Amino acid sequence: MRLSELQVRHFRNLAGQELDLPAEGVAIVGENAQGKTNLLEAIYYLETFRSFRAARDERLVSFGQEFFRVAGVLMEDGAGGVVGGGELVEVAAAFRARGKRKKVTLNGQEPQRLGDGLGRVCAVVFSPADVALVSEGPGGRRRFLDIVLSLNVPGYLPALQRFRHVLGQRNAALRDGRRLEAVHAWDQGLVESGGLVMEERLRWVERWAGEFSSHYRRISGVQPAVLRYQPGVKLGGARDREGIAAAFKEALGETRDRERRLGATVVGPQRDDLILTVTEAGEARDLREYGSGGQRRTAALALRLVEAATIREARRQEPIVLMDDVLAELDPGRSERVMALMEEEETGQVLLTAPKESDVRLRRDSLPRWRIRNGMVEC
Amino acid sequence: MSLIDRVAQELSRLPGIGPKTALRLVYHLMKRPREDAVRLSQAIRELADRIRPCKRCGNFSEGELCLVCADHGRNASVICVVEEAYEVGAIERTGQYQGLYHVLGGHLSPLDGIGPHELNLQGLLDRISSSDGGVQEIIVATNASVEGEATAVYLEHVVRPLGPRVTRLARGIPVGSDLEYVDGSTIAEALTGRREM
Ligand SMILES: [Zn+2]
Repeated sequence: MRLSELQVRHFRNLAGQELDLPAEGVAIVGENAQGKTNLLEAIYYLETFRSFRAARDERLVSFGQEFFRVAGVLMEDGAGGVVGGGELVEVAAAFRARGKRKKVTLNGQEPQRLGDGLGRVCAVVFSPADVALVSEGPGGRRRFLDIVLSLNVPGYLPALQRFRHVLGQRNAALRDGRRLEAVHAWDQGLVESGGLVMEERLRWVERWAGEFSSHYRRISGVQPAVLRYQPGVKLGGARDREGIAAAFKEALGETRDRERRLGATVVGPQRDDLILTVTEAGEARDLREYGSGGQRRTAALALRLVEAATIREARRQEPIVLMDDVLAELDPGRSERVMALMEEEETGQVLLTAPKESDVRLRRDSLPRWRIRNGMVEC
Repeated sequence: MSLIDRVAQELSRLPGIGPKTALRLVYHLMKRPREDAVRLSQAIRELADRIRPCKRCGNFSEGELCLVCADHGRNASVICVVEEAYEVGAIERTGQYQGLYHVLGGHLSPLDGIGPHELNLQGLLDRISSSDGGVQEIIVATNASVEGEATAVYLEHVVRPLGPRVTRLARGIPVGSDLEYVDGSTIAEALTGRREM
């Protein structure tokens, strides 16, 4: 898929501009705080209708303005995988600060639900902040899984929403100290929706763990790393939805006393995690606790590469790669190898940002350069 | 506040009526003959004075008992349990159901502080016990929402020990709809609940 046109208005420091994007992509060069990341953020907003930097919509409206609007024209890949050879899709999103009104359109039509508009822009963001995926708590890794699966697996998002809803009700019943039956009335809904969530997470990790390891090895040069799913329920070998739901139900039964005491459900996908380890001197070490900066960055990059591969497989589109100054913090050896890997793996459009001209190393010969200053792009 | 604004404000508290629609309704009433407005206000007044919950089932009623409960021709061995009284009307309009009703007055929702004690549940259990085996089936017609499902599970749990069989309304494809436009979870439900032809 390719982004061929982009319109931005009042988005952070981007006052307003219409851009025609080159098919192969572009390198956006500019000092810090000129709007490089904001531009990538605006593009990715069209994929999830939220900020990838977890900023609230109100914060995205330019200072002193009442609304922002982002619109993109996308060229889908055609039959036989011709990048950009398929249909044209226009995706637009606008947000008005007063009343917090968000409006999304696909080819000028408002979809029935906002969720129906999700995932039309097949893009992946590589950001220096991704290192937090590896180094911080499990919440970020669950969020990563939820975004990837919501965008790529039909039915995942509704199941996740249902699960969260039931979990909230069940926890409230536990906090009230209601009769046992009033708590267990929620169990069926919890294990059904939660079983589907866990099944899809497990399936995704099993599908891509091998690829994760090989990406990690290619970038790091030597070490193998392992990606593993750690479910928040003892699955005991269960793999399909029914088996997982049954294991979940059993686990609920075993934790009755504890959850009453704590006033919260203590087993379930809300306790899931992804475990990332490297093997050193024959011993598996958790990157979250023992990893070096370079190892953690490498693991985060490998996760994003797997995200791109998921899009390629599930949506049959070559993802648009948005790279936010991501090589800067890697050592020279690793960044060379990342570049080589990207050249090989990512054959689609690449939009990358860098603070200096000399930092643009990826595809340096072919990628056009734009400069950005004060929120204005000079093509 | 002007009288016009006051009426508009009252109207805008009704569901689905915003301030603009409310004003339009007020202007409309003032343009019509006086009797129209008086008739409307009298009907609303009577509604407020005379409609109350049926003592037995919780349905809307003008007397002690609602029209369904007062009708001796109905089949008293079956009770259909719904969340809200207006849902009785929806089932009655089908003309397919001959049994009685029980209105819970909502669904379980601990987040809103609604547990079993906040629902009209004890009334149902009393009806079953005092019937001495006369009530043979409870049809659970709570909504297919997360809360409706939990309420159904809870009902089943407390009703079954008293004897009656407990059934749940079937779920599936809405009549007259194209499969293409039915959402995935509904199709999945309908597949699970498929039957022999
Ligand atoms: Zn009645």
